[in-house]
Amino acid sequence: MTFGVQPISTREQTMADRTAALKCLEEVVSTAEEFDRVVSQALPILLDRAVSYTKRFLRETAQWSDDVVHEKFVLRWGAEYLEQFLVCGRSEVPCRPLFLLDSMVAKQHSRPEPFCYHPDLLTPIGRFIDGLVGRAAISRDALIAMYHHCYGWGPGQVITVLGLNGSESPRIYKNFQRWRDSGWKRTIENMGMTEAELQGLTEQQQRQRHRFNSEAEGILGLVQAHYRKSEPDHYPCLAREQWEDMSRQGYGIEYRIWHFALCLSCLQTACDVGLDGASAIDTPRVVLQLQP
Amino acid sequence: MEPEQDFTGYRARLLKGIREGIGRSARAASDPIQVFVNQRRVGVLDGTRATFQVQSEAHIDSVHLRSEDGVLLGGLSAPEHGSRNSRISLTRDSVELRVHNTAQGGSVSAVYFPAPNLWHRTRQALGSVTESVTPRPIAFAGSGMRAVVFAQVLLAGAVVGLVADRMTGWLTPVPPPLPVTQPKVPAAAPLAEVTKLEQQLAEVSRMQTKVVETIQMQQQGMAQFQRTMAKVSSTQESVVSSMLTVKQEMEQRRKGGDRADRMTRVIMSRAHSEQEQLEAEIHSLIVANDRLSKEMADLEQHNRDLKKRLQSAGVDVSKATVSDREELPI
Repeated sequence: MTFGVQPISTREQTMADRTAALKCLEEVVSTAEEFDRVVSQALPILLDRAVSYTKRFLRETAQWSDDVVHEKFVLRWGAEYLEQFLVCGRSEVPCRPLFLLDSMVAKQHSRPEPFCYHPDLLTPIGRFIDGLVGRAAISRDALIAMYHHCYGWGPGQVITVLGLNGSESPRIYKNFQRWRDSGWKRTIENMGMTEAELQGLTEQQQRQRHRFNSEAEGILGLVQAHYRKSEPDHYPCLAREQWEDMSRQGYGIEYRIWHFALCLSCLQTACDVGLDGASAIDTPRVVLQLQP
Repeated sequence: MEPEQDFTGYRARLLKGIREGIGRSARAASDPIQVFVNQRRVGVLDGTRATFQVQSEAHIDSVHLRSEDGVLLGGLSAPEHGSRNSRISLTRDSVELRVHNTAQGGSVSAVYFPAPNLWHRTRQALGSVTESVTPRPIAFAGSGMRAVVFAQVLLAGAVVGLVADRMTGWLTPVPPPLPVTQPKVPAAAPLAEVTKLEQQLAEVSRMQTKVVETIQMQQQGMAQFQRTMAKVSSTQESVVSSMLTVKQEMEQRRKGGDRADRMTRVIMSRAHSEQEQLEAEIHSLIVANDRLSKEMADLEQHNRDLKKRLQSAGVDVSKATVSDREELPI
């Protein structure tokens, strides 16, 4: 699928510009400032290049399909790679920016699971949950907001349920506030969700609430298993007795905040034993919230 | 919305976000910075946790700094081998990153330098003003009145700075200061003393940073030394075990050789005794044969004698018979 139809003269000019920019990107840059200057003038070219590599990866792993959803998927990951390239590439000078981008993308794709790909995640609800949990792996605001989007909890409930102390509470309120102000909107934009798609999801939820939440729970399990690998690697799933011990003695606050947001199973276990160290809490069920 | 428009709009939004860079972040000056190593969150930097260090057995590829709203603030691509330093300037504060990779693994250290507060900035500004003025003291030396005016201006500036700092302190909460980078200066201290104190503190701060770096390097050196020692001891163990194996094999071979010699000797001695036995038997057979030959010769001789006696006896008998016949009547 190819988008964008331009008049012939404009297309020729664009081609000439691209050729010149490509030539600059192939030259050696010696300083970080030069790197910034050269790459900032060629962002669309670099994005297209990262996108084409991602598309090629999906094709070669038999995961590609010619539709808008796949095009958006590779665009999202191409932009992610480009952002990392812009930040980390400065430390690689002297280098040839074009080939540095190639090597960085290739390095990402050589990993066992460079991104979370599953046919179920290409539906609007799948994209919403994937985008949300993917953001939670890099943003604490999104991580805290997971408790709201998945279980409908507000900041007070999060503090109570996780058994947080006084110093942590203002931070939770701040996370919620920032998420409502800008984080949610930016995450929705990064997912490539349209207003119409969000509206469609809302209507679907209103029509078949139980089925909708059940489907969301299935997808959430799939996505959490992937992104949980991005949390600190010393935060694995624990046994019931260990959660009980942690709740009773009141340690591992960060552990609880990070792990429960990305593991429904452990959250349910811990709620059974009583996260506040006093009494058991109702087992949480997924009630997907689309708005912040 | 048409798919093409939707796609083009999405691409434009992503490009806009990339162009904005860290400007997208809603991070305030005192908010924590998340540290990601190999895309895994490993810690947080802020006013209360100004240094951070992590060691990993795995090779380190990248270090990323992200705000709490997930915006990529800065980062560093780690070298395949060796170390790399980078000071990443954020909006006002900065973070110094150091990553080191060896064959045994990698380590990352990060030091957070918070933005200086208003008093610090005012003092710096005053310092720069003083510096720009001091090269021309002769112009003021001739006029006592001008010197007094200048001193008054300086004093007024210092008072304004103090008031402004106090006002800022009342209006906005200041993040908890770092003991090293934010010294408490008495408000009434003369500017020269303050500057001197500041220089001393800066010196102490540099020394402390150097000490921390030296300690980190020593720790890394010790860790490497321990790993080398462990390798050497394991190599030594394997050499000793190899030597033992070789020795055992040699002993086995020697034992095997002795047994073969003994067997040969036994077989040889047995063959020898059998030969001797055969020789003795042959000898006894020869002796017996000789004896039998002699006995046979004796028997033949005796037989011949007997034949002779028989013949003579026969003759005698025939003679006697003939004489008898002649004496008897018919």
